[in-house]
Amino acid sequence: MADPFDPAHYVPEAAAAVGLTIAPADLGDVTQAFAVLARVAAQLMAIPLPEETVAAAVFIPDDGAGR
Amino acid sequence: MTRRTARELASAVRSRQRTATAVVEETLAAIAARNGAINAFTAVAKERALAAAAAVDATVGAGRDPGPLAGVPFAVKNLYDVAGLPTIAGSHIDRDRAPAAEDAALARRLTAAGAVLVGALNMDEYAFGFSTENTHHGPTRNPHDPARIAGGSSGGSAAAVAAGLVPLTLGSDTNGSIRVPAALCGVFGLRPTIGRLSRAGMRLFAASLDVGGPLARTAGDLALAYDAMQGPDPADPACASKPPEPTLPLLARGVEGLRIAVAAGYYASQGAPEAFAAVERVASALGASERVELPSPGAARGAAMIMTSVEGAELHFQDLIARAQDFDPKTRARFLAGALAPGVWYAHAQRVRRWYCREMAKTFANVDVVLAPATPYPGFPIGQAWIEIAGQRLPAAGHLGVFTQPLSFAGLPTVAAPVADCGPLPLGVQIIAAPWREDLVLRTAAAAEALGAVASPSPV
Repeated sequence: MADPFDPAHYVPEAAAAVGLTIAPADLGDVTQAFAVLARVAAQLMAIPLPEETVAAAVFIPDDGAGR
Repeated sequence: MTRRTARELASAVRSRQRTATAVVEETLAAIAARNGAINAFTAVAKERALAAAAAVDATVGAGRDPGPLAGVPFAVKNLYDVAGLPTIAGSHIDRDRAPAAEDAALARRLTAAGAVLVGALNMDEYAFGFSTENTHHGPTRNPHDPARIAGGSSGGSAAAVAAGLVPLTLGSDTNGSIRVPAALCGVFGLRPTIGRLSRAGMRLFAASLDVGGPLARTAGDLALAYDAMQGPDPADPACASKPPEPTLPLLARGVEGLRIAVAAGYYASQGAPEAFAAVERVASALGASERVELPSPGAARGAAMIMTSVEGAELHFQDLIARAQDFDPKTRARFLAGALAPGVWYAHAQRVRRWYCREMAKTFANVDVVLAPATPYPGFPIGQAWIEIAGQRLPAAGHLGVFTQPLSFAGLPTVAAPVADCGPLPLGVQIIAAPWREDLVLRTAAAAEALGAVASPSPV
């Protein structure tokens, strides 16, 4: 079984990958903020969507029918 | 005069009972005398305002039509371009930007209708917040209790109207940033359908979700300003090519024949009892007894959080790399976290949105208008970090968007209206309709106002 996801490991590694420097004093808050996103994302990713559900290229709330 | 509505002021100027110059001078004096107590304004455009007022007076004097908003003073959240001012969007980083060459599109449209821009207003840095506790520019204080937050991110826009400094302001709403401060300050705010109004000349936060809209002390003033701002704008690719659909002539139609329901489940939990009781009073006045379960609010809120975090981080990515320490400590960690989110989260959130909007459309096949609380509680003391709701410890500012965020994710037009008789601290109700039906939310707000169920309270 895979280890549970640990934002404290991910955040510094991902920051380095995109060229961000996180000050040591900020690391705790950033990790906490990322953990919130990860928790939300886990629920979101569990929503199954059919392949034909595509994102709107330019978002119009009624699919443009009212334009 | 400072509690006069925009419609009253415009009527007085148009009928030559007052000059625009006198109205604007009075407004500038009120700002000078009373803004210090609430910190709503970050810039006052005195010379320009007096020149614009003189031009309105000259138009009236020449017997020409000065426009439906003749002489009405207004101010804008400081993420709107104002010619001659740097567009700071609540930041320290952008204070040295070159001044804007021209006003944002919505400000230009209000000005073309005769309104007079008098200044720019405080906000959460880059609109990433619900409390306007801005570290760089100071917190905006709630006119009903200066020890408490005004809400955000358009906190200056709501507080300036609530305090009677101006009758009309513009804010922006990504996840609730017009509706939350409108509710906490006891004023009316309109979040239009996404794509209805031009965003040209606004510093965006999360382009998939951002809209601009008015705040005022009556539903009629919202409609007056909204009508003046409608219409396509090729400068904003997300602005629909719809002709204006005036709402002001429809306001007096009332709610006869409208199917109005109260949002149940999610929208009746996670808040203080008085927030739900306030909605029930408005529902009762409107004769709305039906309940409706709106689809997947938790998923919608989560997807909105992911989209907001990622789009906001991308927009400010170069500054996050080069000068993260210059961000407001209140936003810095959240912007940095958003920059680290995997792409699949974002792409999935965008697809969830499409699915969610179709689910939401099924709701509006059966009802015309839905009522829900605007916030889960009234404004809390400035500096408070946490709040306990139903035994749960929650981030006090972040949780303010629990009821607004899922609705804007569907791009729905919504009025936040101040519920009457809430005691010393205002609370709001959201009045929600299907996409492009601003007419229904404004009509319902006006009907509730006529019944005395919603009203903008004067600060004591």
